[in-house]
Amino acid sequence: MANFKENIKRINSSESISGRMPDYDAIVVGAGNAGSAAAITMASKGLNVLLVDRADPPGAKNLSGGVLWGNDLAEILPKWQTEAPLERFIDNKKIGFLTEKSSIVIDFKTEFFRDNKIAHSVLRAKFDPWMAKKAKEAGALVIPGITVESLAIEDRTVVGIKESGDTITANVVLLAEGVNPRLSIEAGLRKPLQDRELSVGVKEVIKLSAQKIEDRFNLTKESGMASEYIVGSLGNLNIGAFFYTNKESISLGIVSPMEELRRNGVTHTYDLIEKFKSHPSIAPLIEGGTTIEYGAHLIPEGGIDSVPQLYGNGYMLLGDAAGLAFSNGLVLQGMNYAIVSGIKAGEAVAEAKARNDFTAKSLAVYEQKLGSTYALKDLKTFKDIRKVTNNPKMYTVYPQLLEGILLETLWERGQPKKKTRDVIGEAASKLSVGKVKALTDLYGIYRRM
Amino acid sequence: MLKIAVMIKQVPDSQDITIDPVTKTLNRSQARNVVNPPDVNALEAALLLKDKEGGEITVITMGPPMADVALLECMGRGADKGILVTDRFFAGADTWPTSYTLASTADYLGGFDIIFCGEETTDSSTGHVGPGIAEFLGYQQATYVNKVEYEEPFFIAERDIEGATETLRIGKPAVVTITLNANAPRNPTLKKKIEAYKKGITIVANKDLKLDPACIGLKGSPTIVKDMKTVADPVKTPVKPGIEELDKVISVLVERGIVK
Ligand SMILES: Cc1cc2nc3c(=O)[nH]c(=O)nc-3n(C[C@@H](O)[C@H](O)[C@H](O)COP(=O)(O)OP(=O)(O)OC[C@H]3O[C@@H](n4cnc5c(N)ncnc54)[C@H](O)[C@@H]3O)c2cc1C
Ligand SMILES: Cc1cc2nc3c(=O)[nH]c(=O)nc-3n(C[C@H](O)[C@H](O)[C@H](O)COP(=O)(O)OP(=O)(O)OC[C@H]3O[C@@H](n4cnc5c(N)ncnc54)[C@H](O)[C@@H]3O)c2cc1C
Repeated sequence: MANFKENIKRINSSESISGRMPDYDAIVVGAGNAGSAAAITMASKGLNVLLVDRADPPGAKNLSGGVLWGNDLAEILPKWQTEAPLERFIDNKKIGFLTEKSSIVIDFKTEFFRDNKIAHSVLRAKFDPWMAKKAKEAGALVIPGITVESLAIEDRTVVGIKESGDTITANVVLLAEGVNPRLSIEAGLRKPLQDRELSVGVKEVIKLSAQKIEDRFNLTKESGMASEYIVGSLGNLNIGAFFYTNKESISLGIVSPMEELRRNGVTHTYDLIEKFKSHPSIAPLIEGGTTIEYGAHLIPEGGIDSVPQLYGNGYMLLGDAAGLAFSNGLVLQGMNYAIVSGIKAGEAVAEAKARNDFTAKSLAVYEQKLGSTYALKDLKTFKDIRKVTNNPKMYTVYPQLLEGILLETLWERGQPKKKTRDVIGEAASKLSVGKVKALTDLYGIYRRM
Repeated sequence: MLKIAVMIKQVPDSQDITIDPVTKTLNRSQARNVVNPPDVNALEAALLLKDKEGGEITVITMGPPMADVALLECMGRGADKGILVTDRFFAGADTWPTSYTLASTADYLGGFDIIFCGEETTDSSTGHVGPGIAEFLGYQQATYVNKVEYEEPFFIAERDIEGATETLRIGKPAVVTITLNANAPRNPTLKKKIEAYKKGITIVANKDLKLDPACIGLKGSPTIVKDMKTVADPVKTPVKPGIEELDKVISVLVERGIVK
């Protein structure tokens, strides 16, 4: 990737090319959340759009933990809550720590979530083909089962895509190819992601009857629960876990920074998810269930620093391909970021078409538009969040500290009781965390989170 | 210029199918649909013939409306036209009305010089339909073929019979059924798929074929499934691969006269 900078420069500095009649106004590579949102936005504005995905049905192999926040989706598909293949609306969110023997969880169940039903668990194998179908209904030509091989670049401008020796041309190519954006990297439009910018997610879908799910988690027919855990029971490893209810299955999994796994020589993430599943407070929740799906996927977690230049002559980067995902240990969101980037990119293409100018200068409006949404703002606000989520104490010492404090205060052992201050002090010294260090850490978390 | 048809069936991906222990029917709801694998070889055999002799390939399937994607997939590989034979009157057909309806469709489309089928399907595996079509239409037929060439006015069909190759010369028009893995099918290309999706497919219903409702679909089916039994997986003794085990395998093969 030595000529990466030079490539970008070459691509960005060219003038608008005239005299060619491209096949499409826009080609979208990838029918994930980002690509379909872009295709829907553009096709509804009457643009001539081609959306290509390597899976058939489109997007069918994509993977998420599975809670979709639908604020942005509602903008392009107002009837999504009744039409989309959704699992359960989330009205119960839990966050907590797991230690070897305990779980410490905040259980937040609220009518606020119930009233607007904006968060839903989804299974991407159903949800993504639905979104692609919506793109087709809006007028886009959706072609499944084709892997785009490379980008066609002429005069420092992306002019189309190549496959089986054919070139299909467009004014703009929208790269929504996901977390491992091979085409963008090979064309020098962005750098390959480094270990420190990636996390690995491993997920299982476990079949369980609706009845069992509703009984076990105190849910109604439509409502659902989503929990996130910081796992402090797996030694020094920095592991987060999620546990979501679907209609007739549970989606659960673990997430860990790539660096962390490499540093600790972990090659079998499978063991980690097994350990999470067998935790004393998780195992009973999935008892009697059978694993029906298993998958692993990368997550871009480099934050704002790993977001590349989002546009150039004849192209834009969307969703995961642009590193647009957010995680702070309590939430992991990428689908909504993908959708909002798709909408903004689509709007930018429509405006560029009105100007008949698809140069970098004209497409810059994409970044302006995205910059005014939460998507880029969040990544800026939480610029240093990795310092918190990568702080090993978050996964080792603090969960145990909390456990120690709760044991002292909530466990009657026929001993004289202590003041909370002393409890904390003793628990901290037992784990040999300096009080000052703990306080600065807490302050750091407070400041960055 | 040969007028070529390829009959394809959309089947559930065999990896995804389970059997419902209560109703004893196949549970296909979780399964992704694919083109019946030998039908992909049948299409490739047709494409090879077209490459050499010129001609037009029509892919035909009888199935539910959602089977259109199977036709588009085949057009993406190079077939020229797609025909979806669909109608609620055709539903529930066993192999007899399936063959009859497909033969009638071929007739309705003006007949063909050659019709390619797969050897059998992965979901029902009767292997009846190809020969059935040939009989209804009165065409020549060759089954379990892996290569077809044209020497006007004959087709030369090659079939593997254990240890030898049989070469048949059959007259026109003909039906051939192609074996699984007979050839290496080409992949769909983006350009051809775009053309296919733009062109779309043509639907043929019974208002076009005008077949007697008593002879098609469930009504026209002489067989019914009386019972299905779920067979337990045979117990496999795992063998750790190693030189010793390999020796054992070889000695068993020699013992049974399979190798000398
Ligand atoms: C559980 C179950 C039980 C069944 N039991 C019976 C039974 O007892 N008796 C019976 O007669 N049928 C039975 N059927 C099958 C019946 O509906 C067949 O699926 C259908 O008639 C085609 O037969 P086949 O799949 O065996 O095709 P085959 O004869 O194995 O197919 C050979 C070739 O014919 C072509 N072809 C087959 N079907 C089509 C199609 N629909 N459109 C275009 N080309 C096609 C393809 O090229 C295929 O490779 C059963 C089906 C199921 C699911
Ligand atoms: C374990 C895990 C849990 C997660 N949990 C959540 C969650 O609960 N909530 C949330 O909002 N987000 C979650 N995310 C993040 C979210 O899944 C992603 O941020 C989101 O899917 C990004 O969407 P996208 O459209 O950019 O990319 P993708 O969904 O990855 O789509 C990329 C598409 O491009 C296609 N493609 C790629 N290359 C080519 C090519 N060359 N030719 C043709 N097609 C191509 C692929 O087939 C795919 O359909 C999670 C992620 C993981 C891994």
